[in-house]
Amino acid sequence: MTKQATLIVENLRKTIRRKEIIKGISFELKEGEVFGFLGPNGAGKTTTIRMLVGLIKPTSGRISICGYDLERQFTKAIRHIGCIVENPELYPYLSGWENLEHFARMVPDIPKARMNEVVELVGLQNRIHDRVSTYSLGMRQRLGIAQALLGKPKVLILDEPTNGLDPVGIREMREFIRFLAETEGLSVLVSSHLLSEIQLMCDRVAIMAKGTMLRVDTVEHLLKEQARVVWKAEPLEAAKAILAAETSIFRTDGDTLITPYEPKKLSVWNKKLVEAGVAVHEIQPKLPTLEDLFIELTGGETIE
Amino acid sequence: MRRGIVGIITIVSALAGILWLGGLAMAIQDQFFAAKAPPAGTAKYPKEEKTDNRGIYIVALGDSLTRGTGDESGKGYVGYMVDQLRQKTAKPIRVTNLAIKGQRSAGLLQQLGQAEIERQLKLADIIVMTIGGNDLFQGGEALKLAPKQIEQAKASYLRNLDRIFQTIRRINKDAVVFYIGLYNPFSDLGDAKQTSAIVRQWNFASAETAARYSNIIAVPTFDLFALHVNDYLYSDHFHPNKEGYKRIGERVASLITFTEGDEK
Amino acid sequence: MNNLVYNEMLKIVRKKRLFVIAAIVAVLVALFTYAQFKQVKELQERLGTSDWRTQLQQQIIDAQNRLNSSSISEEWRKYLQIRLQQQQYYLEHDINPSAPGAPTFMRMFIENAIDLFLPLLVMVVAADLVSSEASGGTIKLLLTRPVKRGTILLSKYIALLLAISFILLTVALLSYLISGIVFGYHGWRLPLLTGFTINGEDLNTEGVHLLPQWKYVLIELGLAWYVAIVAGTLTFMLSVLMRSTAAVMGIMLAALISGAILSNMVSSWESAKYLFMVNLRLTDYISGTAPPIDGMTLGFSMTVLAVWGLLALAIAFIVFTKRDVY
Repeated sequence: MTKQATLIVENLRKTIRRKEIIKGISFELKEGEVFGFLGPNGAGKTTTIRMLVGLIKPTSGRISICGYDLERQFTKAIRHIGCIVENPELYPYLSGWENLEHFARMVPDIPKARMNEVVELVGLQNRIHDRVSTYSLGMRQRLGIAQALLGKPKVLILDEPTNGLDPVGIREMREFIRFLAETEGLSVLVSSHLLSEIQLMCDRVAIMAKGTMLRVDTVEHLLKEQARVVWKAEPLEAAKAILAAETSIFRTDGDTLITPYEPKKLSVWNKKLVEAGVAVHEIQPKLPTLEDLFIELTGGETIE
Repeated sequence: MRRGIVGIITIVSALAGILWLGGLAMAIQDQFFAAKAPPAGTAKYPKEEKTDNRGIYIVALGDSLTRGTGDESGKGYVGYMVDQLRQKTAKPIRVTNLAIKGQRSAGLLQQLGQAEIERQLKLADIIVMTIGGNDLFQGGEALKLAPKQIEQAKASYLRNLDRIFQTIRRINKDAVVFYIGLYNPFSDLGDAKQTSAIVRQWNFASAETAARYSNIIAVPTFDLFALHVNDYLYSDHFHPNKEGYKRIGERVASLITFTEGDEK
Repeated sequence: MNNLVYNEMLKIVRKKRLFVIAAIVAVLVALFTYAQFKQVKELQERLGTSDWRTQLQQQIIDAQNRLNSSSISEEWRKYLQIRLQQQQYYLEHDINPSAPGAPTFMRMFIENAIDLFLPLLVMVVAADLVSSEASGGTIKLLLTRPVKRGTILLSKYIALLLAISFILLTVALLSYLISGIVFGYHGWRLPLLTGFTINGEDLNTEGVHLLPQWKYVLIELGLAWYVAIVAGTLTFMLSVLMRSTAAVMGIMLAALISGAILSNMVSSWESAKYLFMVNLRLTDYISGTAPPIDGMTLGFSMTVLAVWGLLALAIAFIVFTKRDVY
């Protein structure tokens, strides 16, 4: 891959009241990719995101955005970030348009055309001049994205972007994020508690727990490792003994056995079972999910 | 349009800010660096001539008796006197009460030196006053003093009184002055004979002083409180109560007459 | 910077705070105008004259009588004594310090509003300037712009100064216009005395000089502005430190009210003069009213207020630029 890294995080640490919350994490975002950020509550997701946008100062480590150091060249670095941290909180007593104007005034050189552009992009043309207090959560979410895109950022950081959206909205948002990454070449960092969401829209995923980065990899890779086969056979004990000799058995679940998915060896194993007189009722490759992976990696900690 | 309003408020605020800053600078300049020049003698009172259609102007001077201490209605003898006078004349009556509680003759003399008091007196048609009670009684303790000390107090009091009358006459030579004498608040006590004698002598000397000036009339009150003194005294056994003041007021009022045209 | 200040002004205006303040001022001024009018009428009826000299003389006599009653507190006695001497001085120089007219009312209104009412109005704007952004979450959007935190806070502070100026203008204009309906709009040239200094129980008239009322009023407004800025700065600091606007208001309110109470009883606690809230009545030095604690002067009070204000400003900036935002 020759795509450039837009956001580089190196050995980031944060200590609050002598307690290390973030224990040295590193990762990078590449141009045009959607990067998923997963982790149970208290893993340090939000703290990390806040450090990325300059709201919290890291105790040590380095964040660089498009080549600018966030701490030392704050305004230059932050210029390339658009973000929504947690909820899209805007000024409820101003109209959507006034909110955009407000933020546009804080960035040099944003023409009115750009404002119209982002309003159209998020599809708020009809309601943009109404007060934000009359907006639904979904509309606020969109307005939040509109303001994040206003300054033509290279990196878009979205904390729970599908929060409070209806199923259609969620799908639209997903497509929109993919569109931004693929067409506009943005790097998008998305945190979500909906694992299926992340799975569907992200190119790469980072999994955090207890302040450390457990895995950073492409979705494809992660899932490949996790493929499983579910065997239903009789007698189970005999089947277990035979399969254990060939491969590792993850779990015995009632009258089923679960082994890793190795497509080429599947028929060989089956043959051995049949030869040993075991009745094989079912061989089912199980589609892996991030959720399984996640639970496995984090040791079954809750994810909201 | 909306942008206009915010813009206007911002500009107006900025201008106001400059104005207030100017005010602050002026305050600093004036308070810390101003030439300390006292104001020029501006005490030029407009000459207010007494005119007959102005009504009747009464000025009350003196101590707590004139103030009306002890009368829960707050009127004092001055109030009751005016009530009576209003029945006698159709002219408007105006009263200024300049009496100060606890004032002694020396204090009154000093008060008369003030420009504004002088102006008031100049305008007065009638002056009523009580003074001397505090010189003599000094809070009710005095009558236990030795005769010699009482003599001393009396001598200085009479000197002051003379100068008070003199001053009043110099300021206003026409107004009728009613000098109201003392009563003996202790006349029902054991040593009534002694105390009454002292008060009588005191009143006599005051009346003698008053007699040296024209139109200064000493009004006795000793007799008003001679019998059943407690019926007319306030709970402090010193100042008159409502009834006591009424009697004094009626007595003074009875002495004031108006010229033919004024009467009802 | 202009844009940032404009943003902050926009938020202040659109929150309708300034209009609420104007309405409060209008109602209060109308109320006080009526009360003042009643008082003048009552005094005239009681004394049977509208001559101010007689009225002032009567006030002097009343004060003297009060001084002679034994149950009067030491502070009150001192206050009366000094006021009495001052009234006497006015009388002797034939100057009516309370000649009716809108400018006189305005002057008195400012003198009475400077230590509580005016700071309260300023507080209404200043209290949620930063804390509302924190509690509303908009601070996250504000701080992720390519603008330094210090610049953002500075723009807010400038907006606060503008709002304070605007509030004072509202107070000045409304008190003039509304009271003028009853008292008339004349009296700008009325001469007034200032420069009284107080030594213990005596009024020193050495530095006394005359000022036309317009200048006197402008001076008082300037001082009121100064006080309002200090009160605003302190509120601003609290607003940075706390997320809850209600808590900010509560603390400021407690401080201001305790100042009003303390002023009446601190004469024996000398170091209280370093508290900002007993130093708010700057106009008292102009009119020559005794300060709550011996030895307090205009210069002293202004310095104390300046120190508090600058400290608060420094704390606000340091905390705001260094703090982690959650």
